[in-house]
Amino acid sequence: MEVLAPPRGLIIELVTPFKRKGEIDEKGLRRLLARVSPSAHGVFLASPRAGEGATLSPALRSDLLRQTMLWMGEKNSLPIFIWVTQGTEEETRKTMLALAEAARETPYRPGIFHVDTPLFYHSNRGLPDLYREICTTAGAPLILHNDPDLIKGLARPFKRHNIRTAILKELCGFPGIAGLIFSGSLDRAHHYQRACRRRPDFRIYDGDEARFLDHPSRSGVVSGGANLAPAAWARIVASSLQPSTDGADYPDRLQQIWDTGSMLHHMRDLYADAPASIIKAVLAGMGVTQPPGQPPENIASVQIVLRQLVSQIK
Amino acid sequence: MIIQQAKEVLKIEAQSILDLTERIGPEFKKAVDIILHAKGRVILTGMGKSGLVARKISATLNSTGTSSLFLHPAEAIHGDLGMVTPNDVILAISNSGHTAEINRILPIVKDMEAKIILFTGGLDSPMARESDVVIDVGVEREACPLGLAPTASTTAALAMGDALAVVLLNQRRFNRDDFRRFHPGGSLGERLSFRVKEIMLTDAHIPMVSPGTTIAEAIREINAKGIGATLVCGEEQRLEGIISDGDLRRALIARKEIHSLKVEEIMSSCPKTISENETSIEALGLMEAHGITHLVVVDDHARVKGIVHLHDLLGREGFRINGGIGTPARAHH
Repeated sequence: MEVLAPPRGLIIELVTPFKRKGEIDEKGLRRLLARVSPSAHGVFLASPRAGEGATLSPALRSDLLRQTMLWMGEKNSLPIFIWVTQGTEEETRKTMLALAEAARETPYRPGIFHVDTPLFYHSNRGLPDLYREICTTAGAPLILHNDPDLIKGLARPFKRHNIRTAILKELCGFPGIAGLIFSGSLDRAHHYQRACRRRPDFRIYDGDEARFLDHPSRSGVVSGGANLAPAAWARIVASSLQPSTDGADYPDRLQQIWDTGSMLHHMRDLYADAPASIIKAVLAGMGVTQPPGQPPENIASVQIVLRQLVSQIK
Repeated sequence: MIIQQAKEVLKIEAQSILDLTERIGPEFKKAVDIILHAKGRVILTGMGKSGLVARKISATLNSTGTSSLFLHPAEAIHGDLGMVTPNDVILAISNSGHTAEINRILPIVKDMEAKIILFTGGLDSPMARESDVVIDVGVEREACPLGLAPTASTTAALAMGDALAVVLLNQRRFNRDDFRRFHPGGSLGERLSFRVKEIMLTDAHIPMVSPGTTIAEAIREINAKGIGATLVCGEEQRLEGIISDGDLRRALIARKEIHSLKVEEIMSSCPKTISENETSIEALGLMEAHGITHLVVVDDHARVKGIVHLHDLLGREGFRINGGIGTPARAHH
């Protein structure tokens, strides 16, 4: 299988807009894509956090993928990441095949990456064997996803909440695995980085926005906050990936970068506990998507974020 | 919180250097070969903080035996490019590989057929395509937030520059004489700035025999004073000759039995001399010019005041490791 090179930069973790009855809000999705895609290097659909992927059936994920690909058509060259993980190995495999099938039905060609969180349904033991098989049948390159907090929150989590470094080192040798979305400690990030050294094209994205804002990785970031402030995130990502050559050299550039970064940091703190509901409520407040069926519990955060975004526009 | 943040920065920067150890490969060796075989200088170039790193690497190369200078990319396109010759090697530093100012000069340098080595994290960048050798100094993570300033990436480039300088130093078999030339302010340089009278061996430490002495006795004197030679002095310590280990070897080869010979029969009658007021550097120059290891210190009337050995100029501590000489480095007055 010829493996696409994964993009470097800002991967926007799209929220999933729903209608009241639970179907995909097509118009809202298009407005959202139109809003974020000029700033993105890739979009991440059905992510387990902002994208509420764990609540999406394979059919809904396929529909979401199809709608996104149709909107993008042949003009937009943004790669699409989509979360394929289900509760079991078998369901995950079926989802991958269904999504690969859905992808074949549209003219969209730039590239689809299946994002899988293996510890969601499988322990570290035997992971290489599993992926050896998956890589031959998945129909799309894979991006691994390591998120210990997500695994800890499961009803029956496995003993280990992170992919073991030795296992990752082995997985990194599979050409069908193109990268990793990483959340976790800085020490673990270093260990993973060492484990994947032999693959210079292997991307390790920061799955934790705060980590990226503090110590940016060179692969880029997966950001839910970019649904709200895509241009600001794009600016920070560009600055972070090329520290010395970021566009125009105007006198208060550093101050502006600092202010933008601080605003994104603060905003992230407001939605971090419930990213999907708060981000969607803000987007609804901005008229991008339909209002959610139930308002989020932390309505104060929504109001603060909205005020911040409005002040940015002013 | 403050300490934790500082630790994180240091960890990221340390990691950026450790990562380089596994990425060093044939490209690095190729860079070393190019520089070793270059007839010209190594010209460092870089913009902003990479430029500062380039300046430091250039200084390190100069201190370790590789002739080097810094070329500012912006000045280069306004005339300074004239300092580059086809014999030179350009070592450019750019984290992204997209630095506009350097991109403008590399094609010109390439046309001149000067070799180009690039330190970069942008392995598929335009600068990488223009370069003969690309050394990966990319880092996975910067320590500074928001890309306000390059941190881990400049550290990595700096460390790679040090690696290059040290390897070149070893490859050139850089010796103590070279070190002295480039470090007049260092401890060795300081030693070489002494006057001869401050380091020469004097009085009872001078190996000395009279004319008419047998070779057997001269050998005993050489052994006793431990500097591999003895002077032959007449009245009032006037210098008449010197017998070195080399003279003894040559005599043994020429004649089977030398013990009963007189010193005049094999001594070198015109030993090289120096005034006690000359500097050690002058003494070292004389030794190098004549291929000898001893100089006799005499006054205006050819009376012996002392003797200086190569080891005394360079410091005996360094030679104990190899030669086992145990006498004090400084003379006893």
